[in-house]
Amino acid sequence: MLSFVKRHQVILASIILSLFSLHLSSLVRKGTGGEVIVRAVLSAVTSPFERTLVRMETKVKGVWGGYIYLVGQRAENENLKKTIYTLTDENNKLKEELSLDSRMKELLKFKEESAVPTLAARIIGMSNFGAGGGWARTLTLDRGSLEGAEVDMPVVSPRGVVGRIIEVTQRTSTVLLLVDPRSNIDVTVQRTRIRSVAEGNGTSLTLKYVRPFDDVQEGDVVTTAGLSGIFPKGLYVGEVTTVERGEDNLFRYIEVKPASDIRKLEEVLIVKEKQNLLSGIERAGKSIP
Amino acid sequence: MKDFFIFLPLTVVYLAFKAAVFPSLPLPDITLLIVLFVAQKGASVGGALLSFVLGYVDDVFSGAIIGSTSFALALTFGVAYLLSRKVHFSTVAAMAIGSAGLDLFKWVLILAALGLSGVKFPFMPQILLTVTVTGFFAPVILPFFRRLSATKVPGAQRGGER
Repeated sequence: MLSFVKRHQVILASIILSLFSLHLSSLVRKGTGGEVIVRAVLSAVTSPFERTLVRMETKVKGVWGGYIYLVGQRAENENLKKTIYTLTDENNKLKEELSLDSRMKELLKFKEESAVPTLAARIIGMSNFGAGGGWARTLTLDRGSLEGAEVDMPVVSPRGVVGRIIEVTQRTSTVLLLVDPRSNIDVTVQRTRIRSVAEGNGTSLTLKYVRPFDDVQEGDVVTTAGLSGIFPKGLYVGEVTTVERGEDNLFRYIEVKPASDIRKLEEVLIVKEKQNLLSGIERAGKSIP
Repeated sequence: MKDFFIFLPLTVVYLAFKAAVFPSLPLPDITLLIVLFVAQKGASVGGALLSFVLGYVDDVFSGAIIGSTSFALALTFGVAYLLSRKVHFSTVAAMAIGSAGLDLFKWVLILAALGLSGVKFPFMPQILLTVTVTGFFAPVILPFFRRLSATKVPGAQRGGER
C-alpha cells in the first residue's frame, strides 16, 4: 500500500488537490468567504502595481502617438521637428485631458441627476475580454471598503447598469459584470412591462422564461425590475437584439445587448444606496440613442 | 521550492499586467505553460502543489469561481506528468502541439467544473484562439522557463527534481 502511494504520489497529489479545488469552489458558492483573505493580500500587493501600469499605459500611448507622428518629419529640419514634437505632445495631452474632461462631465451630470450617494471609481483591471479568452467577466475598481464600497452595491455608468460588486478589499473592489455567466438580474421589458430574468452568457444577456405569446420585439428597451434587492428599479440594462423560437418550444430565445460597452469604460459610479435610485438614471437610460 | 520562488511571482506579475494593460489580447496561457514545464522537468508533489496555487491565483485575479482553474491545473499537471513519461517535449512541434492540447484539456476541465457549480458557459471561439496562441508561443516560452529555472535563487533550495 505504502509503496503504491510512493510510486504514484504525483498523480495522487494532483487528484487530491483537484478534488480539494472542487470542494473550495462549492464552499465559495455557498459564500463561506474563506478566500477573502487571499484576495485581500493579493490585492494589497498588486493593486499599486496595476494602478501604476494603467498610468504608464496612458503616458506611453501619448508618447507613442507623438513619436509615430514625428517619424515622417525626420527629413525636415531639426527645429521644425522639435516644434512638431512639442505641439503633438501638447496636443495629445490636451486631447487626453479633453477626453477625461468630457467623461468626467458626463459622469458628474449623471451623478447629479441620480441624486443618491455615489462613488466615482476608476477601472484598474479587467478580466478576459474579447479575444482575451477566459470565462469570468469582472472588473477591478480602485475603490474599496475604506471609501465605503460594499458587496452587492450596484455599479453603473451614464449608459446604464455595469454590474454589481462581489468582492471588496480595503483599496479595491471586484465587479461582476452583467454578461458574466453567474449574473442573473430581474428585468422588465419597458414597452410591454413583461418581467424576465436576464442571464449573462459571456458576451451578452439572455432573457429567460419569456413565453412564445409574450410581446417582445427587437429594439425593445430592457430595464431593471427592482425585485432582486440589489439593483434599483428602472436602470437601463440594454436593448433586445434577437428574438427567436426557443429550442424547447416553451420559452423564446431572446438576446439583449448590454447598454454599457465595458471595453470603452474607464470610470464608473458605485451606487452607495441599494434599491433607492431616483428616476434620473432611468431618464439617462431612455435618452440613449 | 525554487520553482515557487520563480514561477509564483512571475505569474502574479503576468496576471496583473494582463488585467491592467492587455485584457482583450489573446496572450499565451502562462500558467498552463508553467505547469507543463514543471511536470516535464521532473514532477514532484511540490509541482502538483504549485499547479494548484497558480490556478488559485489565476481564479483570484480573474474574479472567477475560486477552485475552478486550480481544479483544472492540478489535474492537467497529472496528465502532463503522465504524458511526459511517454513524450519528450523537446522539439518545436511537440512543444506547440503538447501545450495547445493540454490548454484545450484545461479549458474542458474548467467548463466541467463550472457545470458542476451550476454555471452554464458555452465553449467560446476565444478559447480556441487562446489555445492556438499558447501553442504558437510555447516553443519560445518553454526554453525561456528552462533557462529561468537554471538560475540560482538566493535562499531557495533546488526542488522539484525527480
